[in-house]
This record gives sequence, structure tokens and C-alpha cells, in this order.
Amino acid sequence: MIEFKKVIPAPIPEEMIEPSEIWNSELRLETGSLVLVSAHSGKGKSTLLHLLYGLRNDYEGEALADGESIRGKSRRDWETWRRRRVALLFQDLRLFPALSARENLELIPVANPRAPSHEEMADRLGMTSFLERPLASLSQGQRQRIALMRVLGKPFELLLLDEPFSHLDEENTRLACALVEEVTRANKAGLILTSLGETPPLPFERSLVL
Amino acid sequence: MSQSFSSHTLRSSLRVAGPRKEIWIASLGCLLGSTLLLLAVQLYQDGNAFLKESEGPRNYFTLNKKIEGGAIVNLGKSDQSFDPAEIDRIKKLEGVRRVGGFTRNRFPLTLYIWPSGKVGLGAAAKTDLFFESIPDEFLDFVPEEWQWDDNSSTVPIMVPKFYLDLWNFGLAPSRVEYPALSTEAATGMPIELYIGKTGEVRLMGRFVAFSKRINSVLVPESFLKSANEKYGQADANDFFFLWKNGAIEGPPISRSSLASMEGEEGFDDWEVSPLENPAERAPASETLQGEAKPEEPSRIILEVADNPSDSFLALVRERGYEINREFPEQDLIKKAMLALFLGIGGIGALLSLLSIATFATSFRLVVTQASEQTGNLLLLGFSREEVGQVFLTRFLRLFLWVLGGAILAGYACKWILVEQALRFGVDLNPGVSLATLTFVSAYALLFLFVNKRVIKNSVEDLVP
Repeated sequence: MIEFKKVIPAPIPEEMIEPSEIWNSELRLETGSLVLVSAHSGKGKSTLLHLLYGLRNDYEGEALADGESIRGKSRRDWETWRRRRVALLFQDLRLFPALSARENLELIPVANPRAPSHEEMADRLGMTSFLERPLASLSQGQRQRIALMRVLGKPFELLLLDEPFSHLDEENTRLACALVEEVTRANKAGLILTSLGETPPLPFERSLVL
Repeated sequence: MSQSFSSHTLRSSLRVAGPRKEIWIASLGCLLGSTLLLLAVQLYQDGNAFLKESEGPRNYFTLNKKIEGGAIVNLGKSDQSFDPAEIDRIKKLEGVRRVGGFTRNRFPLTLYIWPSGKVGLGAAAKTDLFFESIPDEFLDFVPEEWQWDDNSSTVPIMVPKFYLDLWNFGLAPSRVEYPALSTEAATGMPIELYIGKTGEVRLMGRFVAFSKRINSVLVPESFLKSANEKYGQADANDFFFLWKNGAIEGPPISRSSLASMEGEEGFDDWEVSPLENPAERAPASETLQGEAKPEEPSRIILEVADNPSDSFLALVRERGYEINREFPEQDLIKKAMLALFLGIGGIGALLSLLSIATFATSFRLVVTQASEQTGNLLLLGFSREEVGQVFLTRFLRLFLWVLGGAILAGYACKWILVEQALRFGVDLNPGVSLATLTFVSAYALLFLFVNKRVIKNSVEDLVP
């Protein structure tokens, strides 16, 4: 369970805090719930996810995970957090362009046993023929699907997706959402997905506006 | 949950060119430094082992009691010999390994040396001389001819090497009848030995070797023992002051001379006193009935470990002994070896330190150049150890090649040096010792430790 107690990230201007349903408010996100966070650019969507991933510590208030403040986590704790409990799909994907698509999928510290195989995921997302290709030769949409497959291939209790379908068409978004829902459910995990306003076809339990 | 990635893929994701020039310089410095360090350690051991096997780090000294005063005082021939208790005390001093006494001749001796190589041909160099002998184990080497028995026709003689130099550069240039002599020519010269006050016994002798250690005219112990028995004056070491009518009469006289005077008028009133204590007078007739003074060495030779100990030097000062330190070659060699070790080792250590620093800087640069990929791996949940291990493996692979090259280069240099040393009659073990390999391992561990730490710190700070 994630809790926010009056969290205000440092770079957010005063006028953006007031209308937000997350910043400077008391918020609880139950374990296993699917949450959509929508906002326009620059409202702090990535900041929210990065904060939960331990990449930012410059905020006021308190963020708790399972009742404990995440501010006090050590480097080793964050390492375990990222390795086994939380998976994040970055907006800029953070793939390795020198490797092939398959090598990118394989390059995770621990494999998620509840995730479908790489071949099956690639098949469902129409990426089978691109698996052996160098990542540098793939389009942005194809890369986005590879990054999604990689994040689903990691073990997680909470999945953080930062504008994951921004370069996908409607059909591919639908296929990707189905895969995300299936793997998230299989893991009995929660999901926080950010978008610029559109609502992907997923059964969100909560929808918040930043 | 199982490990998903292959090590190959992980290495591939972090493959960056790196600062090649710096890494090459560091590798070259490390190769040279390690080779020099290895050689210094190995050669120091070899040198020590060689000295121990051949001569050992020993020094030889001769020791005698100081002669003081002018000729008149010393005409009395006061006792300058070492008694058994003194020798025993010296033997027990720290660092003293062996003690040997010099035996001297107890008969007058005159030599005729024929530089022409033939008796009677040209001019002979005539000199009154002495012989001494010491146990063979104290000689710097024992020549083949160093043997004598009653059937031998020639007495082998060993003189200090610098005697030959004195002849060649002092005597020979000043006298037209004396030629300069090579070592071979000098050993070929016939020498007539005339023994006795009037030269009644004639023997032939020959220089067989020139010693760099013993500053004396040496003959084999067997010859001197036999010659002293045959021709020696039994009391050559046993002199007295003769007192007549309360005053000393003439120079000191020997026990045999005193015995020959026994029948003379007034002999029963005569007194004698020992040379070292003239006031201690005793009747001459009683003294003759007493035992003759035993023969004792007046010079002794010592073998000591390294330099003389403080206790040894203290005794020398306390007793007023004179120490004659002869040809401390081992000491010089040891000092030269230490200087060589420090020189080569110092340069090697400096190069190694520089290469450690260059390596560390280079690998910090490698990590920095791959910082984006490294950061991404850490964000995926890879541990710092897993990521750092990739860089460390890369460093290790290079370092082991360099270290292997240094061991090979060190071995090759050693082999060449061994070949060269053989030409000078120095036989060294061609291998690299276990101690050297242990040193190299310790050095490698230090190198590894420093670079591992640098890599760890560089990776550590990339992601919070």
C-alpha cells in the first residue's frame, strides 16, 4: 500500500499544487489497485513515479510504502526495491541501443516467473520478427513495446508506467493493455499509469488528476 | 525467481571504447614497473644466496696486541702472544665464527729470489724473512701445490698479492736487474731458503699463489711444524732479563743461553726476571728448573659474520688489540647489491605506483564514459557489485596479461643475466623463487585492491 501525506515536490510551482488530487493531499493507493494518473505536460507525472522509484528525494511531506517512509531507505533497500518489488517503464525507455531487442529483454537482473515468455509477448504485440534486430534499427513505437515487454518481464508488486503508449496506435495500445492487465493480475500487483489525458483500455479502479 | 541475463549481454551493454591511450600507457608502465620490481627482489635473493654458498657474508680480520714504544723498549721482546683463555674469550664473542692462530718460524731465515727463473742467472733479491702458517680453512683458496711432506723438494709459499704489486711498481722500476713479473712469471721463480744463523740448511721454495686475504708470508702448516722441530730454537719465545749485582746485564737472553751459562762463576747469585715485569726477580738456577713457556700465537685470524659486533669491538678497545681488517670484499659486494636492489626496486616501485594511479584514473574514465548504461542497469535493479564486476573483470583481464608479461620478461632478463654471470664464473639459479612469486602475488593483490575500490566508488555514485 502506498500513502502520500502532504507530499509537495520541490520544483512544482505553487499554482500547480492547489488543484492537484495528489500533491499536498492525503492519499492511499491500495495494494493491487489499478490507478490512472492524468495530467498535462509539466504537471509532475514523471516526478511522481520517480519519487516512488527512489530517484528523487527533494519533496516535502511524507511518502510511505507498506507503512514505512520511503525517504529512509538505504541504497541497498532501493536496490532490492527496484530488483524485486517495483518495476518502472521510463518515458525515455532507457534501452540499450547497442544490443538487439531480445538482448534488451534478457538484460534484467531477475526474471518474473509469472510473465509470459519473450516469444509469447512478442507474438501478442506483433514484435516477433523484430526480436533479433538491433534496437537502434527499430522505430520509436517498436522500442516502446520492447521496453514494455522488458518491464513486464521483471518481478513486481507495483508497476509504474510513464506514458507507456504514447507512440502506439489504438490497436497496439489495446493489445499492450491486455498484456499489462494479464501480467499485473497474475502478479497480484498494483499499477500506476500516467497519461496526458487519454484513458487506455484498462479497468482502472481510480483515476486521479495531477 | 531466476537470473535472467547472460554475463555476455551484461558486458556488451557496458562496452565502451575507454581512454585507450591512457590504458596503453598504464599497461606499459605496469609492465616495466612490475618487471623491475620482480627482478630487484629476485636478484637480491640470488645475490645473497650466491654469497652464502661461495664465501658467505663473512669478514676476516687479524688481531694482534699493539706494539708500543721505541726499539729499545721492544728489544726486551715483551710478551705479545694470546694465551688460551684470551682466545677462548674471543671465540665466545657475538658474531665470531672461527678463530685460528698464526704459527711463526722459530729459526732465522734468508731468502734468495731469482727473478731470472734460474738459480745463479742474473741478480738475486736477497732478504731476511719470516714464515707464518694458518689452518688451511682460513685461506681464501687452497692451491693444488699447497702440500708439503719430508720428501717434497720445494716449499710452497703464498704471499699477499700486493707484494707482487710492490715488486712490479716499486722495486723493479728502480733497479735495472729486477724485471717486472706477471703472476705466472712470479710463480716460476726459484727461491733459495737458507735456514739458521749461518744459513747452514738450504731448501728450495716457490711462490704458488698470491692471497688477497692474508697479509703475511705463508707456508703450509706441515712444513712449518716440521721445520720448527728440526731447526727451531726451542726457547725462541722464552726470554729473560739477567740481573748481576742488582743491575740488568745486557739485552734479554734466552732460556738456552742462560742454561749455557750455568757453570760460570757467580751463577748461583744471578737473578732473572720476566720481560713483562722486570721487578719480579727470581734466582736464575730456580728459573732454569721451571717449565719453559709454551708456544702461543701472537697473531690470530678471525672469521666473523657480517661486520664485527659491538661486544667484539669493545673487547678490542678494552684490551688494546689491533684489528687489521683485510679486504672486506663481501661487505662491498653486499653494499653494492643492496644499492642495486634499492635502485632497481625504487624505479620499479615508482613506475608501479604511477601505473596504479594511471590505471585507476583510466578505469574511472571508463566507468564515466559508460555512466549512462551503468545508470540504466542500476535502475533496472542490477546491484552495484554486479555492474562493478564487469569493469573489474575487464581490468583483471588486462592486468593479468600485463602481470604475466612482467613475469615472462623478468624470467627472460634473469636468464640473460645468468648467462652473463656464468662468464664470470658466477653460477646462479636461473628460475624465479617462490618468495618472489609470493611478493608478486602480494603486489598484484594491492594493485587489484586499489582498482577495485576505485571502480566501486565510481559506480556507487551514479544512481541514488
